Amino acid sequence: MKLKAKGKIQIGVLLLPGLLIFGLFTVYPIVRLFIMSMTKWDFGSFANQELIGFANYMEVLTDKDFHVVFGNTIIYTLITVPGQMILGLLIALLINSLLRGQIPFRVAYYLPVITSWVIASLVFKYVFNTEGLLNYFLCNVIHLSKQNIHWLDTRWGGMAVAMLLGTWKGIGWNMVVFLAALQTVPLELYESAALDGANSWHKFFDITIPSIRGTILFALVMLTIGGFNVYTSIKLITDGKPGHQTDVVLTWMYYKAFSAGKFGYAAALSFIIAIVLAILAVIQFRLMENKE
Amino acid sequence: MKKKKISAIALAAMLSLTAFAGCGGQSPNVSDSTAGSSDSASGNETSEDVTINFWHHYSAQSAENETLTEVLIPKFEEENPGIHVNAVSHEWADLHEKILISAQSETLPDVARLDSAWVPEFEKMGILVPLNEEMTDYADVSSGLLESAMTTAEVDGKNYGLALNTNTKILYYNVEALKNAGIEVPTTMDEFADACKKLSGTNEAGQQVWGYDEPALSGWNLCPFIWSMGGSITNEEQTKASGYINSAETVAAIQMFADLYQDNAITGWNSGDIPMTDGFGTGRYAMLLEGPWKVAEMKGAYPDFAYETAAVPAGKGGSISVLGGEDISMFNTANKDAAWKFMKFMTGSYAQEEMAKCGQIPCNKEALESDTVKNADFAPYIEQLETAKSRPTVACWSEIDSALSEAVTAVVNGEKTAQDAMDELATEVDALLAE
Amino acid sequence: MKKRTLSQIIILLILIAGVVVVVLPMIYMVSTSLKPNGALYEYPPRFFPKLDEITLENYQYILAQKKFIRNFINSLFVSIVTVTVSAIVSSALAYCIARFRFPGRTVLFAFIILTMIIPGMTMIIPQYELAVKLGTINRLGGLIPFYVAWVIPYSTFMIKGFVENIPRELDEATYMDGGSVFTVYFRIVLPLAKPGIASVSIFNFLTAWEEFPWANTVINDDFKRTLPIAISGFFGQHQFTQWGYVFALSVLSLLPILIVFIACQKFFVAGLTSGSVKG
Repeated sequence: MKLKAKGKIQIGVLLLPGLLIFGLFTVYPIVRLFIMSMTKWDFGSFANQELIGFANYMEVLTDKDFHVVFGNTIIYTLITVPGQMILGLLIALLINSLLRGQIPFRVAYYLPVITSWVIASLVFKYVFNTEGLLNYFLCNVIHLSKQNIHWLDTRWGGMAVAMLLGTWKGIGWNMVVFLAALQTVPLELYESAALDGANSWHKFFDITIPSIRGTILFALVMLTIGGFNVYTSIKLITDGKPGHQTDVVLTWMYYKAFSAGKFGYAAALSFIIAIVLAILAVIQFRLMENKE
Repeated sequence: MKKKKISAIALAAMLSLTAFAGCGGQSPNVSDSTAGSSDSASGNETSEDVTINFWHHYSAQSAENETLTEVLIPKFEEENPGIHVNAVSHEWADLHEKILISAQSETLPDVARLDSAWVPEFEKMGILVPLNEEMTDYADVSSGLLESAMTTAEVDGKNYGLALNTNTKILYYNVEALKNAGIEVPTTMDEFADACKKLSGTNEAGQQVWGYDEPALSGWNLCPFIWSMGGSITNEEQTKASGYINSAETVAAIQMFADLYQDNAITGWNSGDIPMTDGFGTGRYAMLLEGPWKVAEMKGAYPDFAYETAAVPAGKGGSISVLGGEDISMFNTANKDAAWKFMKFMTGSYAQEEMAKCGQIPCNKEALESDTVKNADFAPYIEQLETAKSRPTVACWSEIDSALSEAVTAVVNGEKTAQDAMDELATEVDALLAE
Repeated sequence: MKKRTLSQIIILLILIAGVVVVVLPMIYMVSTSLKPNGALYEYPPRFFPKLDEITLENYQYILAQKKFIRNFINSLFVSIVTVTVSAIVSSALAYCIARFRFPGRTVLFAFIILTMIIPGMTMIIPQYELAVKLGTINRLGGLIPFYVAWVIPYSTFMIKGFVENIPRELDEATYMDGGSVFTVYFRIVLPLAKPGIASVSIFNFLTAWEEFPWANTVINDDFKRTLPIAISGFFGQHQFTQWGYVFALSVLSLLPILIVFIACQKFFVAGLTSGSVKG
């Protein structure tokens, strides 16, 4: 359609606020981040930042601490993403097969999603305290353990609590997303499969899964991003202790920038995370395409 | 007609956007008095009204913070019409971080209460005001304060702060726990280690109890043990750590910590541990090393709990505690007149006496002679202060501190031997000191 | 028929068991907030307070503190303005991208997708520098443009899906009647994409309401803090933590979210559905 000059001006007016905000507060920082990642910039050298090429990237990639925190992030993602998806899908399937009363369950399972990270983290910290309710339950009520378990004091204990929190908080989102997808699967497919004598397992793997493949991909991409995005729970539950062993990439980046003052290092680290996520997203899309 | 109305709405929306985007056109240093300026309607305000920002690490729910906001600041504002004080409480580690960040953005407060161990670092960053050069009545003010405490704010002959309070840590112990275990108050480090073991175990309710609690593994926590056992962090000139931080004595102190932790006799620095005051007050930790503020804290939270204090157990280095204390300093972006007035007020005898009631040992000589202070029974601390040492007064102390705590964490968790960890640390600290 | 009823009962039981596990931590939070502050290290620990022990003292303490009321209002202000501004801006962007070809359209859309992938926190350093340059450090209003910028990509992406579902014939008809681009935006796009805008707005509200790292970095004063910062501020690391106060404030800060969520439940699901099915 041809637009008159006035139409073009109006489009411009509609675009302008978005472009201004997006450009100034998102695009410009990304460009600045890239430049910063190439500079030597520590506390005290705010004024004279010198360009040092990819030295910061080398420092990040060869840093032993980075290997630990990157490993933590990968493990966090590898465990929480499938965990949330499987549990979310399972609950969605169950709710979907309820003949009545779906809404109360939908609301109840969604509650953790709307609980803020700060609050959820504090509740988990309180429950998993060495002197907390859970240890009392394990030791004194069901006698599973003789001694209080140091949940928050070791690398894997701390990570386990954070991963449990991440999964707990994400099930509801997956449930809603999968429930919506399940309701779009044509019932005729199941009916004709039933005529062919297919059992529930066959129906699930041959009809349900292929029909909701688009949703699975969507959830996979979003949750992977979410896995790399974890910050608040680690910050509030263990704060990286003991000795940065429970840090993840974002808490480590924040520590390097705002506590240690290594802005160049932190900027390079940020860029590496962005690149890793972009590559992962592309791979995930490709994998799903190939299966089709 | 309609179209015009719609365009007007869009325009209004855009204007409001640009208003947000540009809401910080002014310089960030212009003090804004949105916070707590309840009297803005009184009509007394003149154009000379200023608000100074004061950052501190009196914890938000403490008696000190209450005294500051309810007693001292109102009094100061009454005495100095036109000056408002906006006090902001940060957690100790956060305050350090916030100052570093704010220095980058030139959004520093006017005045801050600084752990004296930070002064060299901030001096090196060039953000503190040399008071003896810029304040004409500096000599008068400083002569009213304790000389020993004033040296904590001195770097290369220039003075970057006024001594606000001094302190050190002494041994706190649970009277009943020691009696039940049938042991005397430990006076030597060997007795201390022994007592930790005897005081740990399980109580009648089947809960684990520990002989001693140490809430972190930084220099503030470890130095009393390192020094008392004859070790050290650096040489006298503070230029070298090899041979000091990894000396046999220092390693022995770290080893003692690790062994006691392995025996479940001490704890406290883990994320899942009971906080210090709660653990002490409920009988889960039998001993602590803590400063004078603990008295007010215990009175508030566990008023019926019976405890006593004693000197830090002595090793072959003597009974040496760590010198604490805070300075009140001014940043170079401050409103200097108002900031200086506030600093003089806070180190004056009135404010110092009020703070002494919450367990802050004054640095003001007049306040030290007052009845309040004499009744506060600071004697054990003042005695311990005679031998207390300060942590290395170097600009890279914060970095050394976090490297130390990382190294010791690895030792107590059994990942490295004390000797290996301290050898590695010595190399690292040498490099930091050389910078 | 009987078999069917039985399986329904089993499903129901499994779901109820699941709900119990899922809401357990939240019930514990509420029950802890009703215990007297001193009973928090009691032994043995209890899931529910004793009946005669239930108290509102934690809530009374919180509500008596001026600064917490202020923190609450701050959070409300920031969240509402963020939601409003981003709804206008994102829907305008989504409309333009969905309907018109203009120079840079592909690049803009590519950037929107890209920024959806990158965690917002990775940009915290340059954004901090920017906030310094703009002088928005330690200003409550200074949080808003950054929040808006963070939610624009996702919001635009979602709303664009809704706009594309609006038949183009409606646009054409409006132009025939002499309407302009603005007329279409206000009279066709906004009303018809309302469910989409509403659903992303709920998300945006939640994002701004619970945001922690950015506000914690740039806000200093007690009276300018938002709720998440106020809640985490109870932690004097080595002192004693007043869990009763922490959880009382937490419960209070959950209420608005709960109200928004229950009131807008319908939109909520609609928004998620459209995004996921399109995938």
